Amino acid sequence: MLDIKNLHVAVGGKEILKGLTLSIAAGEVHAIMGPNGSGKSTLAYLLAGRTGYDITQGSVTYRGEDLNTLAPEERAAKGLFLAMQYPVEIPGVTTLTFLKTALNAQHRARGEKELDAMSVLKFVRKKAEALKVSEDMLKRALNVGFSGGEKKRLEILQMALFEPKLAVLDETDSGLDIDALKLVAEGVNALRSPSRAMLVITHYQRLLNYVVPDRIHVLAQGKIVAEGGKELAHELEAKGYEHIAGKAA
Amino acid sequence: MNAPVPNIFADAVDARSLPDWLSQRRADAVATLRTQGVPHRRIEEWKYSDLKTALEPANDSIAATAAWSIENVPTGVTLFDLADLSAAPEWVRAHFGKAAAAETVPAASLALAEGGFALHVARNAVVTEAVRVGLSANGHVRALVVLEDGAGLTLIEQQSAAGAFRNTGVEIVVGANARLTHVRLAQAAPNNVQIEDVAVRVARGGLYRAHLFTGGAELSRLTLRMTLKELGANAELSGVSVLGGSLHADVTTHVYHAAGETQSTQLFKHVAGGKSRAVYQGKITVAKGADKSDSRQTAKALLLGERAEADLKPELEIFADDVKCAHGAAVGDLDADSLFYLRARGIPEQEARNMLLRAFLREAVDDVADEAIRATLWQSVEDALPRAMVSAL
Repeated sequence: MLDIKNLHVAVGGKEILKGLTLSIAAGEVHAIMGPNGSGKSTLAYLLAGRTGYDITQGSVTYRGEDLNTLAPEERAAKGLFLAMQYPVEIPGVTTLTFLKTALNAQHRARGEKELDAMSVLKFVRKKAEALKVSEDMLKRALNVGFSGGEKKRLEILQMALFEPKLAVLDETDSGLDIDALKLVAEGVNALRSPSRAMLVITHYQRLLNYVVPDRIHVLAQGKIVAEGGKELAHELEAKGYEHIAGKAA
Repeated sequence: MNAPVPNIFADAVDARSLPDWLSQRRADAVATLRTQGVPHRRIEEWKYSDLKTALEPANDSIAATAAWSIENVPTGVTLFDLADLSAAPEWVRAHFGKAAAAETVPAASLALAEGGFALHVARNAVVTEAVRVGLSANGHVRALVVLEDGAGLTLIEQQSAAGAFRNTGVEIVVGANARLTHVRLAQAAPNNVQIEDVAVRVARGGLYRAHLFTGGAELSRLTLRMTLKELGANAELSGVSVLGGSLHADVTTHVYHAAGETQSTQLFKHVAGGKSRAVYQGKITVAKGADKSDSRQTAKALLLGERAEADLKPELEIFADDVKCAHGAAVGDLDADSLFYLRARGIPEQEARNMLLRAFLREAVDDVADEAIRATLWQSVEDALPRAMVSAL
């Protein structure tokens, strides 16, 4: 599904990722853990195609294609989804209008039939209920006045609607209380499937208690410094990043 | 000896016979014109709109009276044709030309226009059907709108794009607890110099509300001068300007809080593409003693072309204590984070830009309470956007 080889990425001329190698197959859930400044969000933005993130060396292959040649909207239409750490607020665009526009843009790009307003509404309502995304939220301007938890729930709702092949979750647990975290984790778990891969990026082990990964990679200073199974999260929590990163170095 | 008459002026001025009640007001206007002349860019208030240069090709050919039309006068509204001032009713004599002599542009229309319209709504009459006024052709024209205490009216002013020069001078009198909604639609008029001065006086508890769409002209200047003269008077303004090509639009407002507990709100959004120029100058004065006044003003501009320009100039003058004044102005491009967010959800770049552009403008249209007016304003925006976006593609 996703093959990252010796990836070096510079932001504003400064190298942030320094030779990252990572491979995720369909059906797998991987986690990337790492301290602040290790390059976690850089990786997330790079995968989604944000401008200003330049690959200076190495490659990212997504389902056999060089990801670097695709615009963000093309990546989305081809099934790549990034749940963002800081979802943006857009006054003047209602949430439902946004969802319909995005859904149909992806359908159009894939040569699929577009959905009319009624079908979109039915589809959204069905998925929204489980994530406790209210009718009121759908009617309001996108993310405007939403609480931290509401914003993250809306990200997961989008993931459920777009049915991506590869979902990258960037710090989806940040700013959530325990109830909101459980709700979001349930939403994520409901989307685990043999045909879907997930990359969960997090600073803390907390989310991984609920979304249990197949594999954990520890990122420090732009490189993977440790890898292991789900038990690695507990070791990190107990001993800290310094210990693991130091042992690797 | 008198100074020469400026070129938006004609020799007919002094030869006209006027009713007694008007002669002094007109004489004051003539004096203003003679001393001040046509405004140009070295006058601070006209810095971004050089009327003198714009009018040079027209020379002295513009002493005509522009045309106006009102197809339907709803029940409760009295219409008086200003061409026949000798027969003016008391409400016209009381107000016409009173707020014109201080500034050159309204002074010119008062001195030169030989016609126009006046509307009157009687005490406590609330007229639900809107009055639609069309303004066209070249020259000067005057208008007077008088709402007696407790009256209500919606006025929809449509400035036609045809013509070379039009100067509209409007006086609006809003009585105690009266409410006027003034909608002004001015579609793009590339070959037109379009200037308008609106002087509004609002009495105790009254409300003047304006919703503006400005499509720009070779030179377009709208000056809104509002005096909130008694306790609790209000002004609510919102406007959008959507410009492309080499169009220009200047919206200049001056809200004068003369009394306590007066409120004013302003929200202006401008989009400038091509090498167009959007101007907003918003002055707020809170007079001594106008305590507990509340004044808010926001003006934002989006530049779609590298050669487009926006000049936003907020100005506050506060002489009272215990007042609330909030203002903000910002010029920029579409928000990069928002654009990335939409694209990352599969929305192609151009479509995402279109969404954000409309969202930006919508904020200044969405607060229009009347659904039909909101739809009309939005349609004007949609009609104007393609021209503004030419350079953005």
